[in-house]
Amino acid sequence: MAGILGIYLFDERWDVYNFGVFGLMALQHRGQETVGLEVVGKSRGKVEGEGLVDQVLANNKAAGHICLGAVSPYPASNGEIQPIKLSENVSVAIDGKILKIEGYQWDSMLSYEGNLRRAFKGESVEDLKEFFSRCRGGFSYIALNGKPEMVAGRGDLGVKPLVLGKMGFEGGIVASESCVMDIIGERVPISPAENIEPGETRIFTPLSAHAERLRNCNKRAHCSFEYVYLARPDSYINEIPVYRVRRRIGEILAEEGSVEADVVIGVPETAIPFAMAYSNSTGIPVEKGFELTGRRVRSAMKPNQIERLKGVQLKLNVISEAVRGKRVILIDDSVVRGNTLANIVYLMKEKGAKEIHVRIGSPHIVSHCPFGVEVPPEDELIGRHLPEDKIAEVVGADSFRYLSIEGFVEATGLKFEDLCLGCFDGNYPEV
Amino acid sequence: MKVLLVGGAGREHAIALSLTRSVHQPRLYCLSEMINPGIKKLVDSSGGEYFRGDINDPEYVVNVADKIGVDFVFVGPEEPNFHGVPDRLEEKGIPCIGANRAVSELEMSKASMRDLQWKYKIPGRLWYKKFRTYEEAIPYIEEYADSIALKPARQAGGKGVKVIEDFQVYLQEDKRRVKREHAESIVKEYMKGYEDTEYRLLIEERVWGPEYTLHCFTDGKSVLPMPVVQDNKHAFDGDLGMETGGMGSVSCGMNLRYGIDDERSIITEEEYKRSVDIVRMMIEAIQRETNKKYHGVVAGQMMLTSVWGPTVIEMYSRLGDPEAGNVLTMLKTDLVEICEAIIGERLNTIKAEFDDRAVVIKAVCPEGYPNRRELAKGHPVRINIDSGTGSILWASAELTDGKILTGGSRIVECVGTGSSIPEASLVAERLCRGFSLEDGWKVFHRSDIGSEKFMERRIALANMAREIYQYRERKGLLGKRMMWIPGKGLIEVG
Repeated sequence: MAGILGIYLFDERWDVYNFGVFGLMALQHRGQETVGLEVVGKSRGKVEGEGLVDQVLANNKAAGHICLGAVSPYPASNGEIQPIKLSENVSVAIDGKILKIEGYQWDSMLSYEGNLRRAFKGESVEDLKEFFSRCRGGFSYIALNGKPEMVAGRGDLGVKPLVLGKMGFEGGIVASESCVMDIIGERVPISPAENIEPGETRIFTPLSAHAERLRNCNKRAHCSFEYVYLARPDSYINEIPVYRVRRRIGEILAEEGSVEADVVIGVPETAIPFAMAYSNSTGIPVEKGFELTGRRVRSAMKPNQIERLKGVQLKLNVISEAVRGKRVILIDDSVVRGNTLANIVYLMKEKGAKEIHVRIGSPHIVSHCPFGVEVPPEDELIGRHLPEDKIAEVVGADSFRYLSIEGFVEATGLKFEDLCLGCFDGNYPEV
Repeated sequence: MKVLLVGGAGREHAIALSLTRSVHQPRLYCLSEMINPGIKKLVDSSGGEYFRGDINDPEYVVNVADKIGVDFVFVGPEEPNFHGVPDRLEEKGIPCIGANRAVSELEMSKASMRDLQWKYKIPGRLWYKKFRTYEEAIPYIEEYADSIALKPARQAGGKGVKVIEDFQVYLQEDKRRVKREHAESIVKEYMKGYEDTEYRLLIEERVWGPEYTLHCFTDGKSVLPMPVVQDNKHAFDGDLGMETGGMGSVSCGMNLRYGIDDERSIITEEEYKRSVDIVRMMIEAIQRETNKKYHGVVAGQMMLTSVWGPTVIEMYSRLGDPEAGNVLTMLKTDLVEICEAIIGERLNTIKAEFDDRAVVIKAVCPEGYPNRRELAKGHPVRINIDSGTGSILWASAELTDGKILTGGSRIVECVGTGSSIPEASLVAERLCRGFSLEDGWKVFHRSDIGSEKFMERRIALANMAREIYQYRERKGLLGKRMMWIPGKGLIEVG
């Protein structure tokens, strides 16, 4: 996955570099390993590197009224830094994965990017439309050519999100999440952004901006993990406020896994809304259980185990006063391998928690995502191999429960058949 | 009866249609810079004549009117008003519907309009500052201005306005630079050739809310208010892109209802009344100030804001374009009789009636409009519309040698009617799709105008602004703005 951003202003006097920087900062939670920002105006320049947005982009500069950028959770050693070059004059930022391209034989000797480059011909808007209408998988994209023209859209299954915002009479902003518009767009009192529909593409040229439907496909497969973990709670994904889903998940957890306790604690940051809603619906008080040391990082997205544990231990120092002598309901968003959870439970018991009942705001993760969500190989997934009571023993908790798949679907307010629940049940949509 | 229409855009085509529908069956004459194919047809079928020439030259207009021996002249656009065409006609004893030079100051000088509004304490006044030079404005932009609208102090063909929202401190440097540069180009480019106003640049506070236009006929003694119309200035779908003269407009009933039998509306009846009061006060103020009678059309380009409720953004001294198509399609009363009542200063005797049905207008434009008109000009128009419901108004299109060529601005305005705005929108939408250019140059229009989603968003926006201004009104804070400036104390504006 990734966070992608395109800004297209019509007036050449604008310099959007800083808009790009702050826009990507608003997407930083979608990728913290690499960042790239390409800016087009009278000239074309690109700043990229490994690290966080402010580390990579702060001391460099490129100027222009149009830009394309991305943050990605893949280390630079695993592939090219996004946005990648598709041809001489075309750059593209992709969130998710293109799994096949109609009329093209995938070459396993080539890299992923190499295959995309071989399959793509030309550089015009028409060439880009033709190319993306042949791509299949779970992805959203923003491409920029040398004219400069911008083409942005979602794959027809609508797995990955993409929204359109605007800046008054100046132009438009396309981004993975609507929170970008709050940070760099105009204040629109009703809703910050417009949802781009699956199969739809938005085209910006110096003379026009319009929508086209590249493909008609009724099957929807919105990524479940956006609602559980990936997206920011202040964003709207498929027009649904993420915070509403997370609150509802907390309420359903309280119904499904009811247990006597003295305090509810959420694991920062993602699980805090679950814990607040759990508390509000049960009357069990919610407390702040942890304090952070150093920079806020998304520990679960770190590429190796030591980094993840380092992240967790620094992020999650238990506040003993909150847990000592208490029966604790500890809520986390998901469990992948279980080691970080075990670490948290251990730290909490060490600080005097009497009982710990773990509740997870998502169903068990049993499958590796083909669309690029960072789920490790299946033999590493604790939820695929162990039942709930066994996991409780492994992590050292008094009880352990997942949210049910039905409960999750209900929380989203979407129809079962419109969601991709593959990571929970192993069934992915046909591409 | 003979009537001379001055101007040849979509608005004038709407006026021409309305005039020729009259029971008095006037012979229609037209004077404009380009031969409008729609007006040409009406002129020909009524037995009139089409003149091509400078509409801003009072002598020329008077000569044409004299030669024909017209009963009255109807001036469509604003520039002839600013050039004193109505004044010259009146001097010659030729009755005219059109704001004279003095009263058209309401539109011509955006700075004078605000001065007047503040002097007479007319509600819905935005906070503003006017400047003679660019240099005067710089320290101001640097120090105080945050979210503002930068405007040419004179009406400059609807061009040059830039609204910059500037509350994100981390983007301030970039935004202030663009503000400075744009302020400079307003003074040095957009105002070039307009030497008739003292002030060159206007800075106003930025407000949000649904916009609407309220037109009134006036004879200087009373006003005859028309249904409220909503125009849409962004070039592209979803309110995206550059500011245009207007890409389409919607109306239904007097107060922008969703449909005839629908309770939802963008503007409440109370807000409609307040808006009429504001326009009436503006007319009274400009007449008192100039000692001149206003004979013609006044329009408030309004916004329902959280600060004031009904708020004046700008004033028009004529019918808006494309809004003219809405109000004149809805007008059931004979336009010729209204004109005669204005001329005779007995407008209060007219009981005007308007159709309640929804009207949606969508403009079809050549790519290049609005900022690269040289690219948009001169393309032959291909028409492929089936006869059915709806009608069209030719706008920036020129009839030459039997061909219709684009003039660089909006080519045609498609008019749809229906029992609700979304229904009327579909009719206009279908008409829009019938226009293309023979040489393959692209055209565009806004497919979202008047759609269900569009209406719901406008109504939601209005509700939001309404909630805040009504709260302020209950608190006695309507129109008041307070700032605590550390070290300086409490500053109150309003």
